[in-house]
Amino acid sequence: MAEMVTLTIDGKEVSVRKGTTILEAAKQVGEEVPHYCYHPGLSSPAMCRMCLVEVEGAPKPMPGCVTTVAEGQVVNTQSGEARHHRQGVLEFYLVNHPLDCPICDMSGECYLQDYVHAEGRKHGRGREPKRVFGRDDFGGDVLFYGDRCVMCTRCVRFMSEVEQDHRLTVVERGNRSVIDTFFDEGLDGTHFHGNVVDICPVGALVSKDFLHKARAWDLTHTPSICTSCSQGCNIDHHTRDNLVQRLKPRENLDVNGWWICDYGRHNYEWMNHGDRLEAPLVRGGEPSGAMGWGDALRTLLERAADKKGSVKAVASPFASNESLGALKRLVDALGGGDIVYRSPRAEDEVTLEGFPTLVRRKDLSPNTGGAGRLGMKRVGDDEGHGGLENVANHDGVLIVLGDGLLDQAEAFGADAGLFVYLGTHGSAAAAEADIVLPITSHAEMEGTFTNYEGRVQRFWPSLDAPGMARPAWLVLGALAAELGRGSVVKTAAEAFAALAAEAPAFSGMTYDDIGTRGAVVNESVSLTGD
Amino acid sequence: MSDAPFRNPGWAGNTGEFDLTEEQVRGDDFVGERPKDGGHPSGAGALPYMLAEKEPEAELFEGEYQERFEKILTRYPTKQASLLPTLGLAQELRGYLSPETMDRCAELLDLSPAYVRGVATFYTMYNKRPVGRHLVQVCTNISCNLAGADEVVDAFLRYTDTELGETSEDGNFTVIEAECLAACGFPTCVQINSRYYENVTPAEVPKLCEHLKAEGE
Repeated sequence: MAEMVTLTIDGKEVSVRKGTTILEAAKQVGEEVPHYCYHPGLSSPAMCRMCLVEVEGAPKPMPGCVTTVAEGQVVNTQSGEARHHRQGVLEFYLVNHPLDCPICDMSGECYLQDYVHAEGRKHGRGREPKRVFGRDDFGGDVLFYGDRCVMCTRCVRFMSEVEQDHRLTVVERGNRSVIDTFFDEGLDGTHFHGNVVDICPVGALVSKDFLHKARAWDLTHTPSICTSCSQGCNIDHHTRDNLVQRLKPRENLDVNGWWICDYGRHNYEWMNHGDRLEAPLVRGGEPSGAMGWGDALRTLLERAADKKGSVKAVASPFASNESLGALKRLVDALGGGDIVYRSPRAEDEVTLEGFPTLVRRKDLSPNTGGAGRLGMKRVGDDEGHGGLENVANHDGVLIVLGDGLLDQAEAFGADAGLFVYLGTHGSAAAAEADIVLPITSHAEMEGTFTNYEGRVQRFWPSLDAPGMARPAWLVLGALAAELGRGSVVKTAAEAFAALAAEAPAFSGMTYDDIGTRGAVVNESVSLTGD
Repeated sequence: MSDAPFRNPGWAGNTGEFDLTEEQVRGDDFVGERPKDGGHPSGAGALPYMLAEKEPEAELFEGEYQERFEKILTRYPTKQASLLPTLGLAQELRGYLSPETMDRCAELLDLSPAYVRGVATFYTMYNKRPVGRHLVQVCTNISCNLAGADEVVDAFLRYTDTELGETSEDGNFTVIEAECLAACGFPTCVQINSRYYENVTPAEVPKLCEHLKAEGE
């Protein structure tokens, strides 16, 4: 047990570990001490002077981000004295700030804006002309507006301490100091530089991808999981107009800290693709054509009735645990058979040196951890192609869930007695499918993924599903229940409960246990082999 | 040097009160060109009395300069700590710190080029652009300014036909303003390369420049 220290912050008594800073201790009593240069994932230079607090007995205000707590200390973060210091500091911040909030991407989530509105002077007293830097292209996804910068050097410290590629620096000094790279070197070739945009407390570093795309207050934030590799980084989808506008990291110290890689950050356009499957489609025989779910599923069951015995299925490691579990139940209900999946793999891992838990994994799918634990076998090459020779010519029931079959010939499944294709988009290789069912992408449903280390993590729907598209677990679960396997599942939580009841790896887990932080499955064997 | 064309030739000798030579004031070791081996046991300890060499393309480092660089490395606990004297040595040799020079120093000291740039630009005594044979730094801080430093600056600019920071066409002069040179008792103070010229008035600027040109040849 660590040694505890008891102190009083704003009249509230609190006990914290010895060595805690005043700023962190204040958080525990619900007081946010304004700050720029402090970031929990970086060192604290105490140079922004925003977190100055009044410590009774101290001769002058103390920076809360580096001053550690002491027994019996009495700290005031909101007293007139502390506010007076902050007001003075804020006035200096605005001496050269262009106040271009109406055209600034950060407006609405800017800490300079927030603090000045909360505690700043109503009017500035500066009469001197402001110095002007203009903007600079830092390469990669980063654009720098020098005039907005508050010189907190979070970006410099991120690059040197976390990315550990010291590309950014403070050039010049005094009021001419400005963040820059080594002349034209830029940030190109680094893999995590997008994070400097996230940690910039003002609009100095902005994303080119997001430039002038949406206002912060128009965005809906939905917690989700990154699907770009098996690391399972916690992210937020920022959406507007039913489109994902950008991805931002969500803090989870067990997985990704405060960071995500640039590859994952910019891999979101696919969630916005149109041309979606919107209604169930039945081909051959009667009835046929586009129809409602009830008719389509009844037709499916009728046609499957005389074909029991030999089932093969292709799953996708982009499907949720719940969907994969429901697929397994359906395959079992139809008589059992092999389920395979294909997953692309990268040649190399990319590790974030200063936070080595975060690695862009070789395994580029979010849920191979779930598929593997449900007994599904990976086939195909590192492109995620091939490996379906035995399946393509299968003559029994063939089910494809989520795999777009982009590398397969149009004759795929031509010999199948019943070919059911569940996907988000149509596919040339699904031309022979008897029944095509529209399902949702992970961005349009609730569910869980199992990451490389067996951590089960939840995601929530950020987009409305197009047309009649439904989550695969709902469709497959209903079919399996109709065939006598399990009961009908109506919610993602029920679907997960059904999975937990059947798969030992997930037994005993519930959505409540997993929460927003994830929970590790019942065994800790890495199936990715990285 | 009692026939110097201006009141103070750059050392506190010839003020009319005394008639001392430069050698008598400074001592033999510090008069004339600075030896390339550093001339002082501490390696980079003594300021260069005059910038000895300005070869923008010179190798970093070889010969005597390599020896001095190695001596610098031994005097600091880390390579990072020896950055300042290393940059000083590079500037002594090349005359200014070009991007290539910073890059090379970063390579020599296992630092990132961006970090070296940050350090080099922080300090005003590193030249980030080529300068003339005589770098004229006129103090425009309070004491000198009250004594008319602005007119002295103008006189230098008029004589050299340049703007602040520009190098004159003949390559002889670059005039810049400097903050306090710690010679407030003798305004206006002008530092030219490593020499101080005190009590400079606008009227004697042309004579001073002629003298420097002659000295440079």
